[in-house]
Amino acid sequence: MSNTPLTRRGAALAAALMSASLVLTACGSDGDDTGDKATEARGGKAAGTHSVKAENGTVEIPVDPRRIVTIGNTNLPFIDLGGKPVGVTEASESDLDVLPEEQRTAYEAAEIVGSDGGEVDLEKLAALEPDLILVQFHSNDWDKVGKKLQAIAPTVYWGLDTEWKAFADAIAEAGNVTDALSRQKAEFDEKVTKIQETYGKVIDSTSFVDVSRGDWSDPGTFYIADIGCSEIARDDIGLDLPEAAEGEDPLAYESLPFEQIGELSEYDVVTYPVDADGRPTEPFVPVVETNTWKALPAVSSGRALGVFCPGNNSYGPVIQYLDSLGSALATLPGKQ
Amino acid sequence: MTALVLRQDGPGTETVPGPPRRLLGLVVALVVLVVLLVLSVMIGSTAIGPSVVWDALFHSSAGIDQFAIRDFRLPRTVVGLVVGVALGLSGALIQALTRNPLADPGVLGVHAGASFAVTVAVGLLGVRDAQGYMWFAFAGALVVTLLVLAFGSTRQGSSPVVMVLAGVCVGAVLGGAREALQLTDPDAFDAMRNWNAGSIAGRPLEVVWPILPFLAVALVLAFAVSGPLNALALGDELAVAQGVRLVHTRVLAVIALTLLAGGATAIAGPIGFVGLMVPHVARWIVGPHQRWIFAYSVLLAPSLLLVSDILGRIVMRPGEIPVGIVTAFVGAPVLVALVRRKKSSGL
Repeated sequence: MSNTPLTRRGAALAAALMSASLVLTACGSDGDDTGDKATEARGGKAAGTHSVKAENGTVEIPVDPRRIVTIGNTNLPFIDLGGKPVGVTEASESDLDVLPEEQRTAYEAAEIVGSDGGEVDLEKLAALEPDLILVQFHSNDWDKVGKKLQAIAPTVYWGLDTEWKAFADAIAEAGNVTDALSRQKAEFDEKVTKIQETYGKVIDSTSFVDVSRGDWSDPGTFYIADIGCSEIARDDIGLDLPEAAEGEDPLAYESLPFEQIGELSEYDVVTYPVDADGRPTEPFVPVVETNTWKALPAVSSGRALGVFCPGNNSYGPVIQYLDSLGSALATLPGKQ
Repeated sequence: MTALVLRQDGPGTETVPGPPRRLLGLVVALVVLVVLLVLSVMIGSTAIGPSVVWDALFHSSAGIDQFAIRDFRLPRTVVGLVVGVALGLSGALIQALTRNPLADPGVLGVHAGASFAVTVAVGLLGVRDAQGYMWFAFAGALVVTLLVLAFGSTRQGSSPVVMVLAGVCVGAVLGGAREALQLTDPDAFDAMRNWNAGSIAGRPLEVVWPILPFLAVALVLAFAVSGPLNALALGDELAVAQGVRLVHTRVLAVIALTLLAGGATAIAGPIGFVGLMVPHVARWIVGPHQRWIFAYSVLLAPSLLLVSDILGRIVMRPGEIPVGIVTAFVGAPVLVALVRRKKSSGL
């Protein structure tokens, strides 16, 4: 083939140009070009390293990482532990709306390096010169970008099915924010114990059901929430809440038509989602507006409790949930 | 036994049943529809006894089950009836207008226009409820059909073939634009999932009332052009010779079918197959007489929609399957069986 030498020369030229552009990109990314946010957060490189185990195996990471980028579901849990990432992926407005002020400030101080759907701007991320990347998203997204992330900095990846307490432990260890975690754990245990002691009689003698509806729900449907905050109420507090049979999909995965609202009559207490001000969340409003809901025994007797659940992936929002649940249980007749 | 006499009739050459038998068939179709309306109110994901249903419909009792009947099943049944009538008649109109037995309202870009407008509403304007989608879907369907009408009109007048080609082109462009919007905004895609599947669940009657006047006008227009459409089936030259005003007839037919299909899509999202299959079945029963085809389509299409919706409520209890998915599963085998059994009547 007469054009082979030309092709080879072209490939060599392209490789040289790419190498040069990478060098220039790296040079350009140094110093003030990365913006104030990155510069402010920048510190010295961490000294020692240690090993952590995660979904992507055993990873050698800095003991005291200074420039952490969080991707996917690691954003808010890391910030909840007092972490200040230099880069984050987008969080949904609904999640940001319920963040405490200082956490929102920490989130907004970070550079956005990707969407909330698993898309990551690798060039922008590399320009931040992270010394640690924390990732939790779908395994398909990890398959797409995992190796590229690991080429930029030590990367710790957790799958979406990681249990939330184990996830908090792992993030705290990797991000070197274990002191904050210890405080949060102590507060969590204290609140759980207080609820169990204060409302033990109600918890033992009452059947609960937690219902919800998201902005993704089909019109005219709701679901029984047996995961998320409801799971914490059932497994940690001990509320008698329905759950799927062993090996079956969670009840929350099945959309129920509104005419099934009547089936909630069999439960003593119905809990439903409210915002921080105690109003039903916007997606749930169509449910509380139905006559069927209003006619439920639990609703007409004041046993329908609005509970605020700002999140269930780290201790901070879970503690807020426990506060809300405790306040809601306090309104029940014969609560002690 | 006049009802069983087959005779030559209409513009085609096929043997078709005489008027008494057609009328008898129409009465049977009406009875089937009434039975399905009753079943639609009685059957759902929750078991509610007939006495409670009766109580809910004819007394003002305030029990949970009575509310479920009045607030959910009754509106759903009315929505199914209205959407079915609109889809069936619009399908009959487009097949008559294009002289194409495989045409459905989608070929004029009605669904594409409605879907694109709803995607813009959801993705760019943050609209999230069925009542919000309604006007965008309706406006999208109307604007796109007018666009197709304009593209499909030549100096010689409006040709059905050119109109269909224009509809397919506009539909493809809008379909691409819609997909692009949905890919860039996963939340919009998620919110539109149910709407795209086509469903009559969770639609309050407030969604139907504003569209109803448009559908009523379209119904009158459709039957008004049924005679000229019969003549059009013989070809443009013969139709003109019989005194049919081609452009006038086609424009009225397009307006009627756009209002019908646009209205149905606005209420329930794009539901396929009903507008394609029901006019076929009607034509097999009554022959190539548009007025009879239209009348049968008005009764058979809501029957197909309601029976599909009832099945969708019970096969996956306590969850449900959107009616748009069930119509395809129910309708396709029926249509295939009919095609294998009988030759279609001419248009």
